Amino acid sequence: MAQNENPLYEQQPTAAATVLTVEKDGDTVARAQNDGHAVTKRLHKELMFLMTSPDKSISAFPDGENLFKWIGTISGPQDSVYESLKFKLSFHFPNSYPYTAPVVKFITPCFHPNIDTSGNICLDILKDKWSALYDVRTILLSIQALLGEPNVDSPLNALAAMKWTKKEEYKKLVMSTYNQA
Amino acid sequence: MTNSEQIGLNKTWELSLYELHRTPQEVITDNTEIAVSPRSLHSELMCPICLDMLKKTMTTKECLHRFCSECIITALRSGNKECPTCRKKLVSKRSLRADPNFDLLISKIYPSRDEYEAHQEKVLAKLNKVHSREAFVQSINEGIKLQSQNRAPRGRKPNETVTSEQPGEPQPAPENNTTNQTPTTTPLNNTIPSSPAPSGRSTPCDPPSPVSSSVSSIKRRPKSVLTSEKSEESDSTAQTEQTDTDGEGPSEPHTLNEIELVFKPHPTEMSGDNPLVKALKENSIRYIKTTANATVDHLHKYLAMRLTLDLDSQLSASHSLLNFCIYISPSAGQYVQLNGNQTLGQVNDKYWKENKPLEMYYSWKKT
Repeated sequence: MAQNENPLYEQQPTAAATVLTVEKDGDTVARAQNDGHAVTKRLHKELMFLMTSPDKSISAFPDGENLFKWIGTISGPQDSVYESLKFKLSFHFPNSYPYTAPVVKFITPCFHPNIDTSGNICLDILKDKWSALYDVRTILLSIQALLGEPNVDSPLNALAAMKWTKKEEYKKLVMSTYNQA
Repeated sequence: MTNSEQIGLNKTWELSLYELHRTPQEVITDNTEIAVSPRSLHSELMCPICLDMLKKTMTTKECLHRFCSECIITALRSGNKECPTCRKKLVSKRSLRADPNFDLLISKIYPSRDEYEAHQEKVLAKLNKVHSREAFVQSINEGIKLQSQNRAPRGRKPNETVTSEQPGEPQPAPENNTTNQTPTTTPLNNTIPSSPAPSGRSTPCDPPSPVSSSVSSIKRRPKSVLTSEKSEESDSTAQTEQTDTDGEGPSEPHTLNEIELVFKPHPTEMSGDNPLVKALKENSIRYIKTTANATVDHLHKYLAMRLTLDLDSQLSASHSLLNFCIYISPSAGQYVQLNGNQTLGQVNDKYWKENKPLEMYYSWKKT
């Protein structure tokens, strides 16, 4: 599991916590189902904050009429191989949001140790390290940071993890994957 | 965690220079009142989970973070047993305590919470509206960008048009002295000669400029560019660019208060043999961008003045240019004459309703 991206929080050993989350998930979904209004309200608020946010390197917007599906974009972090590349991501919010994490995937193909070929992301805050305080903005910022600092010890893409240290080759692979889009 | 261990062992704190030298804030003992805006308090009074104002505040006993009772209980049930803010372990509900003082504080600051919530709902509803409208604008802008890419080779054209549009010889003063009657706040503001941009971009001028000064500026203007108002031949490019400029700030609310309109001669009243149409030739169609609270009267005066300038000496001074009628065509072949005191925003809402520049017609009668 990638233990990146916790600028705010200290890491803690969490094997036990993970098990707990898994057990409780079903229960949460069921209970939060009738609370749709609160979820929409929170998503609306997030949208409002995002729209007034001055940060140009990330953006997100509901995908069509459905407020539970968003499309986000991030620019590759500066001084990384991903610099000047733009990545699209999909967000899928469960009815239990923000108590459970949204499903976030890369739409734009991205060659990265912690991102697999179908766009799944291995990022702790989207899994067991989720907190109700995270929102679309902090998720995007975390993923942006993950691009620049992959966790090569728990790779989803083994080739990428292997090549990470060979900058020239790595960059080429990043570009050829990106240009598949 | 070496730090906390040290603290535990030696009971010493490492203080920064700032911490060593700072002095406590003076206690206010007189009647001084300090005003704090609710906005700056917002983050203090907000529950970080629902992003709403705290309701039945619960505070974590160890780390002192605040949440709505409902929010934190749900969070503890569904997630890790830790403080959502700082990940401090929270074993159970017993790691929390109710914070009625904080609830009292909030009710002091927002005595009518319902009102506040209603206001919030309103803001969100408005945002919702803007959001769907923005999605629409966004898709239009994307289309326009593609179009303008295809049009790139013709990109220089507006320039030529602009140069040819400039009056060659000095203009005679407006015959009918409209300047004196013009209220200084006329919001037709598309004539500030500040952009020497060769690309033909407009400067969407925000401050309403008195027409009287813009008249003189039109006369003097050597290289100023009027994208918002162009002769017909540069029509397509001009419009593209105009919309494009708007598209750069779709989130800026002021774009919602602006109105673009196309102003054409009335098809029947102003047929080809009308002396004015003859004199204006291709200048008879106008593209204008102005604020939505400009009235039809403003438009009227602007048009009279603008045409006087463009007509130059071609049309004899005996023609009074104030006899305009302004129409809108809500459906094909139907023309409704507009009253002077309606604002363009009202006209747009009442007759047009479409998301494209308002089309208006003018006719002119000899006295």
